Amino acid sequence: ITAWSLNCFSRMKLKQINRTAIQSWSPAQHHPIYLATGTSAQQLDASFSTNASLELFELDLAEPSLDMKSCGSFSSTHRYHKLVWGPYEIDAEGHPSGVLIAGGENGDVILYDPAKIISGESDVIIAESDKHTGPVRALDVNPFQTNLVASGGNESEIYIWDMNNFNSPMTPGPKTQPLEDIGCVSWNRQVQHILASANPSGRASVWDLRKNDLIIKVSDHSNRMHCSGLAWNPEVATQLVLASEDDRMPVIQMWDLRFATSPLKILESHTRGVLSIAWSSADPELLLSCGKDSRILCWNPNTAEVLYELPTSSQWCFDIQWCPRNPEVLSAASFDGHIDIYSIMGGSSQAQSQRQADQVRVNLHRQQTEVNPLKKPPKWIRRPVGASFAFGGKLVSLENTNLNPQQPTSHVVHISQVVTETAFLKRSDQLQATLSAGSFVDFCQEKINAAENEFEKTIWSFLKANFESDVRSKYLELLGYNKEELALKQATCTHTYTLTELNRGCSTWGKMSRHEASIGSFSGVSGNGSTDVDGLITQALLTGDFEGAVELCLHDNRMADSIILAIAGGAELLEKTQKKYFMKTHSKITKLISAVVMKDWQDILKTCDLQNWKEALAAVMTYAQPEEFSPLCDLLGDRLEAAEDAQLQSQACLCYICAGNVEKLVSCWTKAQDGCCPLSLQDLVEKVVVLRRAVEQTQRSGPTAVGILLAEKMSHYANLLASQGSLSTAINYLPDNTNQVCNTATAWFTSLYFFCSLRVKHEALEHALCHICVYLHDSVNQYPSGAGGVPIYQPLQYFSSAAPPPPAEPSSPPHPPGFLSQYTQPIPSQLVYPGQPHANQCLPSHPSHSPFYPTSSSSFSAPPSSGVSFQHGGPGSPVSYMPLLPLSGISGTQLGHGPIREQPLQSIPAEKITKKPIPDEHLVLKTTFEGLIQKCLAVATDPQTKRKLDDAFKRLEALYDKLREQTLSPAIVGGLHNIARTIESRSYTEGLNIHTHIVSNSNFSETSAFMPVLKVVLTQANKLGV
Amino acid sequence: MVSVINTVDTSHEDMIHDAQMDYYGTRLATCSSDRTVKIFDVRNGGQILVADLRGHEGPVWQVAWAHPMFGNILASCSYDRKVIIWKEENGAWDKMYEYTGHESSVNSVCWGPYEFGPILACGSSDGAISLLTLTGDQQWDVKKISNAHTIGCNAVSWAPAVVPGSLIDQPSGQKPNYVKRFVSGGCDNLVKLWKEEDGQWKEDQKLEAHSDWVRDVGWAPSIGLPTSTIASCSQDGRVFIWTCDDPAGNTWTAKLLHKFNDVVWHVSWSITGNILAVSGGDNKVTLWKESMDGQWACISDVSKGQGAVSTITDTQQNEQ
Repeated sequence: ITAWSLNCFSRMKLKQINRTAIQSWSPAQHHPIYLATGTSAQQLDASFSTNASLELFELDLAEPSLDMKSCGSFSSTHRYHKLVWGPYEIDAEGHPSGVLIAGGENGDVILYDPAKIISGESDVIIAESDKHTGPVRALDVNPFQTNLVASGGNESEIYIWDMNNFNSPMTPGPKTQPLEDIGCVSWNRQVQHILASANPSGRASVWDLRKNDLIIKVSDHSNRMHCSGLAWNPEVATQLVLASEDDRMPVIQMWDLRFATSPLKILESHTRGVLSIAWSSADPELLLSCGKDSRILCWNPNTAEVLYELPTSSQWCFDIQWCPRNPEVLSAASFDGHIDIYSIMGGSSQAQSQRQADQVRVNLHRQQTEVNPLKKPPKWIRRPVGASFAFGGKLVSLENTNLNPQQPTSHVVHISQVVTETAFLKRSDQLQATLSAGSFVDFCQEKINAAENEFEKTIWSFLKANFESDVRSKYLELLGYNKEELALKQATCTHTYTLTELNRGCSTWGKMSRHEASIGSFSGVSGNGSTDVDGLITQALLTGDFEGAVELCLHDNRMADSIILAIAGGAELLEKTQKKYFMKTHSKITKLISAVVMKDWQDILKTCDLQNWKEALAAVMTYAQPEEFSPLCDLLGDRLEAAEDAQLQSQACLCYICAGNVEKLVSCWTKAQDGCCPLSLQDLVEKVVVLRRAVEQTQRSGPTAVGILLAEKMSHYANLLASQGSLSTAINYLPDNTNQVCNTATAWFTSLYFFCSLRVKHEALEHALCHICVYLHDSVNQYPSGAGGVPIYQPLQYFSSAAPPPPAEPSSPPHPPGFLSQYTQPIPSQLVYPGQPHANQCLPSHPSHSPFYPTSSSSFSAPPSSGVSFQHGGPGSPVSYMPLLPLSGISGTQLGHGPIREQPLQSIPAEKITKKPIPDEHLVLKTTFEGLIQKCLAVATDPQTKRKLDDAFKRLEALYDKLREQTLSPAIVGGLHNIARTIESRSYTEGLNIHTHIVSNSNFSETSAFMPVLKVVLTQANKLGV
Repeated sequence: MVSVINTVDTSHEDMIHDAQMDYYGTRLATCSSDRTVKIFDVRNGGQILVADLRGHEGPVWQVAWAHPMFGNILASCSYDRKVIIWKEENGAWDKMYEYTGHESSVNSVCWGPYEFGPILACGSSDGAISLLTLTGDQQWDVKKISNAHTIGCNAVSWAPAVVPGSLIDQPSGQKPNYVKRFVSGGCDNLVKLWKEEDGQWKEDQKLEAHSDWVRDVGWAPSIGLPTSTIASCSQDGRVFIWTCDDPAGNTWTAKLLHKFNDVVWHVSWSITGNILAVSGGDNKVTLWKESMDGQWACISDVSKGQGAVSTITDTQQNEQ
């Protein structure tokens, strides 16, 4: 044995059984895999024992040992010529392991139940028959009807056994003449009623069971073919191979019945007779043969070439079989007392590897040059299909099929777009369309109409109010304070003069009593309970109707109240009231009055009963100063959100809408919603987008920063859009401040940024990319392999290619409006409603605060019918409209709870404790870059740009650190100086070119911390023309 | 729901075994029994051959793109027992490294999450799994798990670099405690989980459910939820979804996604980890999604060979 073959031997052999026996694998359906062995007839071992047994071994490849576990045995009176294992009734309860069929010495065909052998039962024989004459050497189970077994004996006897009716076998046709032993039988693998048989004299016969006759004889008439093996092509119905045992003609003939005059191919390589063949059902290009020359060959029978020769021991192998379940496993039984289990792929068991370890070391050189056992990989490892997802919901799939054999197979790859959230995408598109068109009122109205519940309806009504004139009175109306209706009630009250009539009058308005009950909100305020008049006064106050309130006070003998109110109501009213001051009275709602007069709403909001939050909110609507309005709404919202009642919690959303507080709305909404399905995310995003736009338009709270929660939601939303292939829309929703996202950065997210940078020249994205790069850089540096400080990563090609000098801005294509539009598009600073004078024209003291604060001159022309009010179902008949009076005089007390604005998180590189000075020669870089940023800051107008520049200023510290440490390569430092020179000469485009050059020729890790920042600065400088 | 937007005629001379898009979805790498690897620029529906990489001496089974932060790097593995790492420099693709440490066909390659730096797992028919790491001095460090799967490893797939439950538990600002983990499937019908401890790779879990070769495994991308999810598919026609909720990663439960009538060759998760594409021997691709109640449902059959039957809307196609 050569070193090579021994080496190979060790690599391929998996298991070994020390038996001289015939064998059969369990059928493909069976798990785990067993090998059955039966004592072979015509062989005796050295003990001359004539005992016979049937044994089952399990092929456990997870077990490293070379031995196979015996799982059961049965001492038999028979010795065997042939074993086959069929899946008959394998699924039924009858034979869970199928049926093992044995051909015996004396014409026996015996059916065993392998399951019973395994479980150690004694009655393992299902049925037996000794109908055959002479030994049964040939057996085969029909692959289609697994209840049929063909057997062959002496004197040309062939029987077809039906295991359902074992006692009466059929014959395939009249016996062939002259009478001969049958050496092999085999069912066709494609056509179930075709059977072939062969005999030692060399002739093969093909039988058609439907005709019950012999249909063709196959013979080369040489009289030298001594058939020891017969096998059908697993795929081509008309092809079979015959093996010859004759040493004078040790060949395998491949026949095609369509041209059955001579063999199609002759497989010649064995030097002595072939004893056994096996054709792989998993790959028709693999045929095993073993012979008296002690060789085991693996052929491609279609080309007649030997693919591989298995290294074997010196003894003949007389039986070889493929494992039906594991296509790379084969077993070979040899006369030296072994059954060896091999893998055609060269795997080996651990024990064997260790056993051969020394040899492997010796033969290391040899092994290096060794080839795979099979040059062409077997069919079962050639993956024909494979669809893989890619970024943006793309699916890449292969196509190797060949529908037309006349044409060469085309090998194509399909790239498909997978969209799973169609409803979501549709709504996202609608939202985009709304953003582009600015048709928010219509959008909200549609939402109101389509709302599935009252709460949703209310939220959208509140959102809609943002886009209408006189926002606060709209809100009031939504809270249930319809001015016309109230006016009517007051009229009734003051004119009837009696409480009973008042009561009667009240009953005519269904909602009235509700309002009176609501006085409870000020119960802590007004002392012991409330009266109907109090209710009316409250309502009048809540709607700013001073005159009405004074009237009511007078009527109820509350002179002090009426006077105090009259003072707030203006000189004229005060005068009027003073005239009527002839009686003194005490009010029970003094505190409310005092709040109105003193404008101390914070106290009211802090102490009021939450059940009456609406009244509290209404009071704020009416009285709050512009600058305290949002914080007050927030305050109430916070209280509601903290309430235990879930109903109240959700109402906090309305307060946040009034406050224009997007972040809190998100948080509150998220709490109320369970699940995070795409559509519920869409629900949220719609509201957020609309509210943001409303806030921008009304400038209620200045440019809103994106908080962490909102950033997260928006990232998810963008991600979802991207995953559905809607990339350009997704870009609009990417938060600009990626620090917030980096904390939870996932692969898709960074990929989205990179992706976007490829396609869109988007300033915000470049800014975002700076953050991402720094983040990636940091996270990668957590895992440096080896201590060396040498940068290991190559330049980020895409990043550099994504950063060409920006084109002149005016010619850049317009970006779709969206989340980031606040700094990509000029925002119309005024709401445009035809016919509506813009409120801020009348309010010079608050130029940036639009329609919130009605002035005395503002008119309420034809209020848009929202169709929704919070409580009022019935329409009140409009009688008169009392304009809200601007509050004057007393300035509000300092708010204890100042406005709580979300601060954008900026990740500022941690300050080093001690820093070396920047080398003098490079100081110019710092002064130049910082100077440029200062110049930009001086002319930059919009806050986003300023923020970006501020951020850049801080981030350039990373560069200075590198300069201090002197770790930058000379090329980069040189490049930086060049950039500095271009800045001096104000040729920023030139600077950007140098920038690109540096980035594309340097290490990612070396430059990623500052180059993107520098680019932002240069781009800005170019744009601002400083 | 699934529409072909581009069909690339690869001109491979033999069966294609794998096709993978790069990180951005702009380039397509294919590999074939014709021993070549090809790279196409597929931006804007195009199909420009960028590179035709020759170097393998046998059928090439799989290709895998490295994260772009490491440059433009592609790994390929072949029946010739080699793994080749290709790299583009100045527009030209060249061999960066050739790994010949396996004794049999290398069936699967997979890059680890970028957080770990460039690290490649390779599974071979010799039963071993190799881990190739690019070190600071541009050398490739090799670690090998011998006998990972008896008579062969068919697939490897990395776990995402997240600490389970990171969105929930991770205190901000603290450096995450990532553990390198991957899953493999083999001819021993097993799915195995591996993790690195003190620089050594150890078998962490052995998942048994398949009754025949495990053809492919796929660890689902994490979206920050605490559950880890793995899909495995087998010669036995079964696809299992394995999930693990416990942070220690010890308790995995299997749920049968479906039993197909034919071998299942490949599973692939969508980037967002909520859709699974299953490729079967019957040449069919099915898409599966988990419903709210935790049941997996087939949401689409992707029929082959239909060509560009429908176009996608401008919004979706707009790649400028």
